[in-house]
Amino acid sequence: MKIDRRSFLGLGLGAAAGIALSPVGVKLTDDSSIWTQNWPWTPVPEDGEITYDRSVCSLCPGACGISVKKINGRPVKIEGLDDHPINNGGACLHGIAGLQYLYDPARIKTPLKKNGNKFEKISWDEAISLVAGKLGEIRESGTPESLGLITGADNGSMAQLFERFMDAFGSPNTYTMPSLESNLTLTAAALHNADRSLGFDLDHSDFILSFGAAIIEGWGSPVACIQANASRYERKAKLVQVDYRLSNTANAADKIIAVKPGTEADLALGLCAVLFAKTKIAKDLLSGDVNKLAFAAMLEKEYTSDKVEAITGVKAADIEALAMEFIKAKAPVAVPGKGRGDVGQSLREFAAVQALNALAGRLNKKGGVFVMWPAGYLNFPENVMDDTAEQGLGKVKLAGSVTELVDKLEKDGGLSALFIYNANPCYALNNTEKVKAAMDKVGFKVSFSSFMDETALKSDVILPASIFLERLEDVVSGAGLAKTVVGLCQPMVKPVFDTKHPGDTLIRLAQAMGNSIADGFSWDSYEDCLEEVTGDIWDTLSDDGYVVIDDKPPVGTPATDFTFLASAPKIDDPMGEGDFTLVPVDKMRLAGGSMTSSPFAVKTVSDTVLLGKYSVVEINPTTAGVLKNGDIAVLKTAMGKVKVKIGLNEGIMPGVIGMPRGLGHAFNNPYVAGKGVNVNDLIGPVIEPGSGLDAAFGIKATLSKA
Amino acid sequence: MSELENKANDGPGGGAHHGTNNGPEDDKGLGLGVVFFMGAFLVCFLSGWLLFPKLLYSKKEQPFNFDHNLHVEETGDCETCHFLREDGTFSGIPGLESCMECHTDEPMGETDDEAVFVEEYVAQGKEVPWLIYAEQPDCVYFSHAAHIVAGGMDCKACHGHIGESSSSRPYEENRITGYSRDIWGKNIWGVKKNSWDRMKMDDCADCHLEEMGHKGYCFQCHK
Amino acid sequence: MVIDLDKCTGCGACMVSCMSENNVPFKEDESNKKDSISWMRVYKLTNGKSFPETEMVYLPRPCQHCGGIGDHGHSPCVSVCPATATDYGYDTGIVSQIYTRCFGCRYCMGACPYHARYFNWWDPKWPEGMENYLSPNVSPRMRGVVEKCSFCYHRYQLAREQAIVEDREIEEMEYQTACTTACPAGAIVFGDLNNPAHKVHQIVKPDPHTDPMNHKVIGKSRNPKVFRLLERLGTNPKVYYMSDREWVRKSGDNYLKGEWENVKTHHGASSSHG
Repeated sequence: MKIDRRSFLGLGLGAAAGIALSPVGVKLTDDSSIWTQNWPWTPVPEDGEITYDRSVCSLCPGACGISVKKINGRPVKIEGLDDHPINNGGACLHGIAGLQYLYDPARIKTPLKKNGNKFEKISWDEAISLVAGKLGEIRESGTPESLGLITGADNGSMAQLFERFMDAFGSPNTYTMPSLESNLTLTAAALHNADRSLGFDLDHSDFILSFGAAIIEGWGSPVACIQANASRYERKAKLVQVDYRLSNTANAADKIIAVKPGTEADLALGLCAVLFAKTKIAKDLLSGDVNKLAFAAMLEKEYTSDKVEAITGVKAADIEALAMEFIKAKAPVAVPGKGRGDVGQSLREFAAVQALNALAGRLNKKGGVFVMWPAGYLNFPENVMDDTAEQGLGKVKLAGSVTELVDKLEKDGGLSALFIYNANPCYALNNTEKVKAAMDKVGFKVSFSSFMDETALKSDVILPASIFLERLEDVVSGAGLAKTVVGLCQPMVKPVFDTKHPGDTLIRLAQAMGNSIADGFSWDSYEDCLEEVTGDIWDTLSDDGYVVIDDKPPVGTPATDFTFLASAPKIDDPMGEGDFTLVPVDKMRLAGGSMTSSPFAVKTVSDTVLLGKYSVVEINPTTAGVLKNGDIAVLKTAMGKVKVKIGLNEGIMPGVIGMPRGLGHAFNNPYVAGKGVNVNDLIGPVIEPGSGLDAAFGIKATLSKA
Repeated sequence: MSELENKANDGPGGGAHHGTNNGPEDDKGLGLGVVFFMGAFLVCFLSGWLLFPKLLYSKKEQPFNFDHNLHVEETGDCETCHFLREDGTFSGIPGLESCMECHTDEPMGETDDEAVFVEEYVAQGKEVPWLIYAEQPDCVYFSHAAHIVAGGMDCKACHGHIGESSSSRPYEENRITGYSRDIWGKNIWGVKKNSWDRMKMDDCADCHLEEMGHKGYCFQCHK
Repeated sequence: MVIDLDKCTGCGACMVSCMSENNVPFKEDESNKKDSISWMRVYKLTNGKSFPETEMVYLPRPCQHCGGIGDHGHSPCVSVCPATATDYGYDTGIVSQIYTRCFGCRYCMGACPYHARYFNWWDPKWPEGMENYLSPNVSPRMRGVVEKCSFCYHRYQLAREQAIVEDREIEEMEYQTACTTACPAGAIVFGDLNNPAHKVHQIVKPDPHTDPMNHKVIGKSRNPKVFRLLERLGTNPKVYYMSDREWVRKSGDNYLKGEWENVKTHHGASSSHG
């Protein structure tokens, strides 16, 4: 038998025919097409039982209630909570992206200790004993006041727990990062001589005069403000925005009053002057005592409409008309705080706006500004302070504000240890280089950060805190909200990494320090502490998830003390030299405070704000000179120089450069860091005498083609 | 040229003339080709039918044998463990928690399988990694509520008589697609006798067409 | 869906809610908006005037779920898909997108006048651990397929299941898209355009007859403040927009000189006209 080509062909053809007529052909075709659709690395999320849990978001001071959808206990979506009195079902993009913070692999996963230039992992036991040891040394050396604390907020049990620790330790050096809340509290203290805060009843106001406040872009409790704005049409309420650029709020307003940046306070005082001249209520309010008369005299002399026109650029006739429109409205309110109202604000400006509210008789009236009592729902047991503590507490604080502290530390030092909680001063304060230099002067820094942010990078020990989705905690409203609501932030999952509730960490630390400090922190856990200190409201708080402490106008009208305003000097013109004034712009989609934006939030940022790795700055075409849209330019200020991209914008005052805040993070996370420039690097602080606030609203700058 | 012509005439190559010029030698060549053809055909055809499925599907055993028949007798019908939740979603294969409503650290019976269950899963709080015969790919959205409640269908129509089985058959997985064999069907030709033999998109569409007069819109069954 | 452009603040909550709900991936650099996947995208438009007359509007644009000419289901994208990966659902009016059928020819992307469709140029990759927040109700995609807004169809599926076991119809607020529930200003209203009890119908008042001025158009709103994008193309989208401001309504289409004056007062016929 000869196997030749024919038989080979026959073999081949037979095989082919056999396979073709067998099920193999059809089956393999079907299977291959399915194979191309199902790559093994495409995730298939697990299905399961759907449950909804409620909590409160604490990414910003807004304190919105959130509803977390879970599949078999695994959180998959965050939405606003419908029956929460602050946000009524709405949520902002940052809260919705909360799960990206929860699972971010860039989170600090275990306690860390600085070793040379790197961090090494240590256990919680090691970390606590290391910190307790160092702190113990400080106490023994007799200088407990050399421990400092920089914290993000003053409200809530965590803030009070830290305060308690500092007291028991013996240090008065607690500093709060500037926030809208702290600015409002300062204003209330300056004008009403009391421990109060201010709340703006925007929901019921029919005429909102906003002095640059980014009401629909992140000012205050963002969702509540957006909702107050959305209901304006039905309520026939007017919004007038005082601004130097066409911000989203200015765009939504019924009228824009264009002012030179930094002159908002003068405009407010000019309006006060008109009211004083033309209305009885203001005249009555400013009669009587010496200080009031001094203020009235100042208004008459320095803040005539013509003088204010020269300062601000707003026509005298417009100033008069605006003041009369304000007073004639049924329920007007003036709102302070440029942008988010946190950094770069002056007490003079806040006070001037509050004075306007006072002179128009809007204090504690519906639709006006409420001078609110502190929430007062927390009752800590008496603290235990030994002699060392008493001695330390008796010493004078190093500085009056966190900005002054940075100044002092950079020059002369003064702190041997520093706690940083819920704050990122190495990013969020102006002149970041100076802040970092100041940090270097502190021997031992402990950060409680959840993420490796700029300040954590500089720390010596990191005791990572679980994030809000993993925590049980009280979250109290503030930031200009006209009602006081305490929400209960509840853990949605067990901590994803080896992190702890900062309350638990603090309690453990106190107990490790022993003696009197341990005595004052005798709780088993933060949870026990929270239940104890919230006392009466604990049951309602755990059952309902929130307690409304107060939502009505406070009774009575507080007296207003105009002494501060009568003597508050004007802040100098923006420092440095240059044709332009660089002003930072707060954007809704770029988070502020100690928070970094999530990957989703950064994704939504327009390419007119962030393009590739460049921050895009806005300038008016008339002052652009040779610069064209999309050009790369060198932006130079007295603090430094950077490369930026140019975005021409008709809606910004000529001669002003608007630069977005919230970019330029410098840590290891390619999704949210390494993009753009931190505008705070370029601006130097200008400390306002009397308040200690960094009132630098901007800085002189030059722009040249790169 | 003439050489080539000679070669053409001499060689056994010229196929066109083959038939007519054939000698007995040539006949054998064709015959052999045909024989090879038939042989290869038969071998490949039969392999495709019989051997191919064995190669295509991998067999995996369940973590341990589950006796459906026994559980139906002891606890109740399908709905006892496979039920519709209040919100309309289907509970699927019961988790360890459901099993532990009856089972504890102590075995209730005497089978080796229960011993395995109790020691390796109940005692350690570990979920049993069942291999799901009816598992559809991720692109499919199947609503049990729509079929059981609105459609009035019986479990057997799609799942067969699994409730009466005493042992868990092996789970056969398609090596190429990763799908359960139950989707294409046990029959390699894709021929089905019962409604539960096959569950590809066309099968769903056929039944929809019959019952609802329309094959269905894409999003009704996909996500 | 109807979106009130006077209430929209451009905050972006709708964008993030959509991305979170639908397992939309994210890249390290998303500033190139040509390949940044964002099913719901908020655009910024201006009125073209110089300061101080400059005005802006933020316009959220989900997939418009076009019904095609005469609302017969020949949406531009559906008409061109060679694989029937996208199809018009006559039951809900929602244009579906099935990822397993799509082989990535992108013909639909070219056909869509609203740039509502996005392509996965790269395999979606989630940083380690982030896959934990993915929802099982929406299939994560692989590279090479087109994706787009689905009006959160999976929420409809789940709402239907609940309604089925309770033997009733779905209520208006039970099926709401992620963007609708997220919007803090309440600018987005979603519901059944054909159901007179639903808020969206009451705002839009769609005219069930074809437009006498343009027979391709059906469902034109009878509300003078309401308009649709590129309405005259006859795509018949389900997404309506509402604004008090005339220039915003004019931005909804490209008008030649003088055309707007003829069109601007032309709205859906009232029922008395039949």
